[in-house]
Amino acid sequence: MTALLDVRDLQTHFMTRDGTARAVDGVSFTLERGQILGLVGESGSGKSVTGFSILGLVDPPGRVAGGQVVFDGADLIAGGEKAMRALRGKRIAMIFQDPMMTLNPVLRIDTQMVETVRAHETVSRAEALRRCREALVQVGISSPDERLKSYPHQFSGGMRQRLAIAIALLHKPDLIIADEPTTALDVTIQAQILSEVQKLCAQSGTALIWITHDLAVVSGLADRLAVMYAGRIIEDGPTADIIANPRHPYTRGLIDSVPHGKRHGAMLTQIKGMTPSLLNLPKGCKFAPRCPRADAACQVEPALTPRRPRPPGALPPPPCRRKGHPVTPQPSLQIDGLSKRFTKDLDIAERTARRLGAKVAPVTVHAVDTIHLDIRRGEVLGLVGESGCGKSTLGRMVAGLTRPSQGRILYNGQDVATLKGTAARDAALKIQMVFQDPMSSLNPRLQVRDIVGEAPRVHGIVPRRDIPAYVERMLEQVGLDPSMGKRYPHQFSGGQRARVGIARALAVRPDILVCDESVAALDVSIQAQVLNLFVQLRQDFDLTYLFVSHDLGVVEHISDRIAVMYLGRLVELGEAEDLIARPNHPYTQALVSEIPTFETGKKTYHAIKGEIPSPLNPPPGCHFHPRCPHAHDRCRIEVPALRAVAPGRLSACHLNDQA
Amino acid sequence: MTDIATPTPVRIDSPAKRIAKQFVEDRIAVIGLILFVLIAIIAIAAPWIAPQNPYDLMQLSIMDGGLPPGEVSMATGQTFWLGTDPQGRDMLSAIMYGLRISLMVAVVSLTLAITIGTIVGVSAAYFGGRFDSIVMRIVDLQLSFPAILIALILLALLGRGVDKVILALVIVQWAYYARTVRSSAMVETRKDYIDAARCLALSNRRIMFRHLLPNCVPPLIVVATVQIAQAIALEATLSFLGVGVPITEPSLGLLIANGYDYLLSGRYWVSVFPGVALVVTIIAINVVGDRLRDVLNPRLQT
Repeated sequence: MTALLDVRDLQTHFMTRDGTARAVDGVSFTLERGQILGLVGESGSGKSVTGFSILGLVDPPGRVAGGQVVFDGADLIAGGEKAMRALRGKRIAMIFQDPMMTLNPVLRIDTQMVETVRAHETVSRAEALRRCREALVQVGISSPDERLKSYPHQFSGGMRQRLAIAIALLHKPDLIIADEPTTALDVTIQAQILSEVQKLCAQSGTALIWITHDLAVVSGLADRLAVMYAGRIIEDGPTADIIANPRHPYTRGLIDSVPHGKRHGAMLTQIKGMTPSLLNLPKGCKFAPRCPRADAACQVEPALTPRRPRPPGALPPPPCRRKGHPVTPQPSLQIDGLSKRFTKDLDIAERTARRLGAKVAPVTVHAVDTIHLDIRRGEVLGLVGESGCGKSTLGRMVAGLTRPSQGRILYNGQDVATLKGTAARDAALKIQMVFQDPMSSLNPRLQVRDIVGEAPRVHGIVPRRDIPAYVERMLEQVGLDPSMGKRYPHQFSGGQRARVGIARALAVRPDILVCDESVAALDVSIQAQVLNLFVQLRQDFDLTYLFVSHDLGVVEHISDRIAVMYLGRLVELGEAEDLIARPNHPYTQALVSEIPTFETGKKTYHAIKGEIPSPLNPPPGCHFHPRCPHAHDRCRIEVPALRAVAPGRLSACHLNDQA
Repeated sequence: MTDIATPTPVRIDSPAKRIAKQFVEDRIAVIGLILFVLIAIIAIAAPWIAPQNPYDLMQLSIMDGGLPPGEVSMATGQTFWLGTDPQGRDMLSAIMYGLRISLMVAVVSLTLAITIGTIVGVSAAYFGGRFDSIVMRIVDLQLSFPAILIALILLALLGRGVDKVILALVIVQWAYYARTVRSSAMVETRKDYIDAARCLALSNRRIMFRHLLPNCVPPLIVVATVQIAQAIALEATLSFLGVGVPITEPSLGLLIANGYDYLLSGRYWVSVFPGVALVVTIIAINVVGDRLRDVLNPRLQT
């Protein structure tokens, strides 16, 4: 039997002002029926463009410049737009990263789905509706009749992605191309989607191309992996084989860059440098400038050869540079009963209605609900939770950017809110923040040396004439070339911008760094570089970190202790390694089980059920009880207190009382 | 350290250079810009390049009154390329001086209006809350009346005079800038770099004017180019209606008004040429402004 999809020497080029960018440069692979292929690469590697090219969805200035896409025996590129349209949606379906973009916000779901069915088949509306209902049930959406009558905005992010998958499944396609479909979702929801997809593909025999930057996610799902770099596939083979025995130094680097499972707090082996610009590619092997093992032979473009077993130990094990870091038990920062409520003011109509006697109460969100937490001098405290759990609000309150509704923040035993004048300023400078978005956190109108040098100059931290040298030293500290000080933020790559943001914070000599998702927007290889930088700086500057992230894998790697938040409340707190190894709270257990890992062989996802409830209307009692597999009556009424369950471990769960 | 990141290999132009590059891609905009620069030079240099000083009565001869374009003066032998008015004033010189007044009034009122509007807009966006609501309601109120109506009422109360016209124009126009700056400052205030600046304990004034304001400039430039053309037109209208600049310092609008009486008697040049000068000026500025809006609009950039 021939392969379902055979891509041969695909070339997709983008014409830009500065020349032709070869986004896809000679990609070839085959896909059998029912097979799941993981197409992995960092941003700019051409993985998404490959997906779009197969479907003929490349928009000008891009075009497919050469090669063949043979689908079930017919060349799609030679067939032209008309042939493509007949297949698209029917035999090949696509799932995008942001389902809100693919769903029409002003049409009801049933209208959109029935339209999709009838675009390719002449069936009655009733028959089409029956098919839609079936598809919704398949992807695990309950009460499909009700859901069909809803509009897209009435669905949560995870539900929308299920919808997109349901729409893709309507025609029982032979091939689905999914472009980063779970990247924007929370981990628990991602696990749900992955397990659904795995089940669906096995049932229906649909082949799947799963495009992602996250090697760990796809390694549990895919039969085969193809790793892309600078528009080419540099390694292609069975998943287990590639993970266990990566032959290309880049693949090896990607695997080593993932923090989970590495020695805690150790330096990650990193790929140096960054993804090259497609307009200015190196000659020969595109990876050579970043490759630790590059030699003269790399001047010649290497061909993709069939995998041979490699003698074990051919690549040296990553050197470990971890030094012990002293953590003193006395707290540097105490968070004492901190709460933040956001109240939406009533508008004129609501006020009038209230005056007339209607029951209109102002809507209040408890973003952060009475949190007690100590951050010890010199430690890295990881704060994890899914979106909407209040972790960022807590971080912002610590950094002084959001005023607490209740509670105190004590820095070295002093309540920061009561400080006045220079004392308040000095305390504020001691707690600095590193932001998530490396682009929007830098003022685009200022040169980097001004971004870094402004605060030390204004506050007189460094004498005015020493500022240029000081800024250069700061840039060097974060691994930037000091000569780059004259540049503007847009002239830097994402990873470099993150470094500038760190240099800016360091320049005012802080004690505590609040890192709010500081590595979330970066590619894995860059993320590893920045995480290493954090570890390095902690030693050099004796820093204390509050490391806020949704990614338990990252937090586990860098933190000494981990605090887990759920809907504004702290549910568990403990030593990092211990907490990961023996999570006590059912929510922590769920999070830990869903850290993507490189397990050889296919992984079964034990998804926790349900959606994250809206913080506007949190469930009574223990907030987690509707999703908890062990919930009982008491959980629905009584809020569990956070109390010690083991030395150094706090947990808020009623189950601990029964044992 | 070992991981010094390598500099980006691709040269990226500075924003100003990129904008200049994109601007010159539109030939009409370039012509508009050249025209505008020429007009500005003429206005500034009028006392030195004009054939005569049209308001020095010693230089005028009543004998030259009402000559059509191209006629030669009977008194001095100079050629009146654009004709003369009934007092024997060279229209070319009068237009040059008129441009000077018109542009001066427009630029001064623009500068004042931008300054006031920007300070109000940035503060409103940055501080928000009650201050924002009050200020922006005043802006709404101001913008709900036609500009010409407000200006007419003000000038009727204040009387004629260049300074009073400028004052009226500032009062009419500051609200546009306040609203423009506020809306872009609202977007910028939510960005992380403002939080970062607050985290670094920088003063409110420094954050507002050094961090926030420079990032609100592109839309301001666009509104300013549209508004300067409007200011010129509004001033001309007021002067035409006889409530604007005094007769001793005639702007283009007043020249048009003066010549209006002679249109029916066939001496079209007294009114038409100042009108043409006004139209060319406004069109040139509008063309430049349109192009600037395209180039500076981040949504149209790829």
